[in-house]
Amino acid sequence: MADPVFVAENLVKTFPGVRALDKATLRLEAGSIHALLGENGAGKSTLIKILTGVHRADSGRMVLDGREISPSSPRDAARAGIGVVHQERNLVPGFSVGENIVLQGIPARRGLVDRAAIRAEARRCLKQLDLDLDPETPTAGLSVAQLQLIEVAKALHTNSQVLLLDEPTTASTPSEVERLFTVVRRLRDAGTAVVFVSHKLEEVFELCDTVTVLRDGASVLEAAPLAGTNREELVDRMVGRSHLAEPLPERPPPAPEPVLELVGVCTDAGHRDVSLSVRPGEIVGLYGLVGAGRSELAKALLGLSKVTAGEVRVRGRAVRIRDVRDALRSYRIGYVPEDRKAEGLFLDQPVTRNIAVTVWDKIGARFTGVSQRREEELAATYVDQLGIRLASAEQLVGELSGGNQQKVSLAKWLAARTEILIIDEPTVGIDVRTKAAFHELIGQLAVAGLAVLLITSDLPEMVALADRVVVMRGFQVRGEVANDAHEYDPTSRAVMSLIHA
Amino acid sequence: MTEPATDTVTDAETRQRRITPARLRSTEATLLAVVVIGFAALSVTSGGDLLRGPAIQTVLTYVAVPVLIGLAQMVVLAVGQMNLSVGALGGFTAVLMGSMMADAGWPAVLAVLAGIALATAFGAVNGLLVVFTRINGFVVTLATMTVLIGLQYRVVGTRTIADYSPGLKAVGAASVAYIPVILMVALLVAAAVAVFVRRTVPGRWLLASGGNPLAARLSGISNDRILVLAHTLSGLIIGIAAAVTVASAPGVNSSIGGDWLLPSFAAPIIGGVALTGGSVAVLGTVLAAFVVRLVDVARAQFSLDPSWVSLVVGVVVLGTVVLTQRRRRRG
Repeated sequence: MADPVFVAENLVKTFPGVRALDKATLRLEAGSIHALLGENGAGKSTLIKILTGVHRADSGRMVLDGREISPSSPRDAARAGIGVVHQERNLVPGFSVGENIVLQGIPARRGLVDRAAIRAEARRCLKQLDLDLDPETPTAGLSVAQLQLIEVAKALHTNSQVLLLDEPTTASTPSEVERLFTVVRRLRDAGTAVVFVSHKLEEVFELCDTVTVLRDGASVLEAAPLAGTNREELVDRMVGRSHLAEPLPERPPPAPEPVLELVGVCTDAGHRDVSLSVRPGEIVGLYGLVGAGRSELAKALLGLSKVTAGEVRVRGRAVRIRDVRDALRSYRIGYVPEDRKAEGLFLDQPVTRNIAVTVWDKIGARFTGVSQRREEELAATYVDQLGIRLASAEQLVGELSGGNQQKVSLAKWLAARTEILIIDEPTVGIDVRTKAAFHELIGQLAVAGLAVLLITSDLPEMVALADRVVVMRGFQVRGEVANDAHEYDPTSRAVMSLIHA
Repeated sequence: MTEPATDTVTDAETRQRRITPARLRSTEATLLAVVVIGFAALSVTSGGDLLRGPAIQTVLTYVAVPVLIGLAQMVVLAVGQMNLSVGALGGFTAVLMGSMMADAGWPAVLAVLAGIALATAFGAVNGLLVVFTRINGFVVTLATMTVLIGLQYRVVGTRTIADYSPGLKAVGAASVAYIPVILMVALLVAAAVAVFVRRTVPGRWLLASGGNPLAARLSGISNDRILVLAHTLSGLIIGIAAAVTVASAPGVNSSIGGDWLLPSFAAPIIGGVALTGGSVAVLGTVLAAFVVRLVDVARAQFSLDPSWVSLVVGVVVLGTVVLTQRRRRRG
């Protein structure tokens, strides 16, 4: 193996409650394309942010071209020779192509922007990409693929020795992808070390020379040549077997007739032809990567975006759900949101009010309004049933622990006697023991006859809870995996092959 | 789903669709047409009186301050902020300049320069408060506005300061071919602002930061510094507006600046500046100040109640904002 041009060794980064990177290592050679793979939350984004100076590592070191570096800002990283094309579009609307390319170092003469220099520099970068585009063109109105290439040009402007491409092909057509690949290969041949982050394994095998796999913040495969491996092995490495969730006790079989059914549903959020069904007493999992359209689907079911085609059936009848109120009152659908602090709870209100909010109009008397006593009775029922731990029912929700907050967020939908419950990422940021208790709770809800649609990015959690897993990618359903046995290996493998297909 | 996913993309894309150069140009062309047609119509209805030199000079004299305060608001809107203290800072600076000359006997040049420096410093304070407290600029400038109104009253009380530099007042009344010198000052400031945002590196940073703060940050631009810069620049332009007021008004008292807030927003908003930041329209802002002035001229010509001006301008501003939002949604 040749001497690496860039080495990041034993990088550790902790965020409150999470160890995002746990001694991750990345070795890059000049003139080669390196794939960086890993599941949701494996630490890829954190690693890239440290390489590009957005975050700083708690420990570990980075060496570029024999010199130790520790970039403290994106500009610092760019100066050192690390360029990046981010997942998000990072162009300034209203600026020309040329201005966007040189944004990191606008050339100036006597205090004024040197337009001729911008043009010349932009042409130089665009030429390297074989992109025939006038630097004066406004970026508004260009295609997504062109914008992407301009971002590559932006990275070339700083003469990057290391170029990071963070999921550059998510929104591209095959011919656009091919064009990007040609450019990337040319950069490699010119001696750049390219890092390619992607969830599409075909692309990885087509383009890359070596691969690093991250799992739980550590590199489980380090700079291995891709020629010596195959799909299955990579998927195995990504998935691993750590942190298995405890299996739940057997549940009685669900009722035969689905209570919620989607047939060929399209939404104006971008879903196409989504079909799935949930029966009473059943937990159906909805799995996919970040941005696959799962939460958006849940919100469309609640009427927060429009269903443009297909049918939503509740208890066998085709319905049109206008808004959340309609979903709750007419169809008994509840939604426990992912972001409980922002969307699920009133943090500076007491527990009682948070639980009673969905049923105020029912427990309120016509002239005297909502009595505190009735709120307290209601809250006491669910505090007891869900095992919410608090000093008094008058305690503010913001003072509770994450797990107890989540229970309160769940309790208000139970109070409203929902029959269909959509639960979005129930255990994010919750410790392991509470997590197990929560899994048990969700299982009990299903036993009690609720139809549960569970959205989670935590694959072990999915395997432990769901009866079936519906896999989404790009706002479409890519397939369904039976999970009656709740066994991790076969289910996770099937799910991962659907995602990376 | 713990990572920020696609929000920024769609956000940036909607902005891209909204702020096309062609659209800005069309806003400016429309405003120019309104100014020309409006002026022609008012000339006809006045029986040609409006076309006389002194009448033109009167019309133009009262455009200078609206142009300046519109620009002062525009540079802050460009970074997605607001400055509610435009009028209060202008009023305070104006009475302070007056007091320095009339009460302390300072020479006019010194008083004007000191006032402008102080206004610039106050602008910087606004920016620093926003950056260090992380409190919304709306609230910060609402608070500094109230403080400044108090200071203005402390300086001037209930009196009107009128007994200051005849030389400065002569400059305020001077004109070349019926074009007031103070309007030329305002237009020079406008030109300088245009050069600043189009041709200087900090000016480009300002627009980049306002248009896509994330992209700006990842390109090594400090959004915090840009915020301070925008507020400081706003203070500087307000200082100039105060100097123009002191020069052209018969005297200064506690009511100066009290009616600047709405016009300061009206000019840039009607002129095509997006409230979300990332765009400026210097020509549009200047033209919109002329449009607003024509409303006032019409009011005077038909002897209508002054409240009509506020009413018309307020409705036009609201209409413009609604239209822009509609366009964006459809975009």
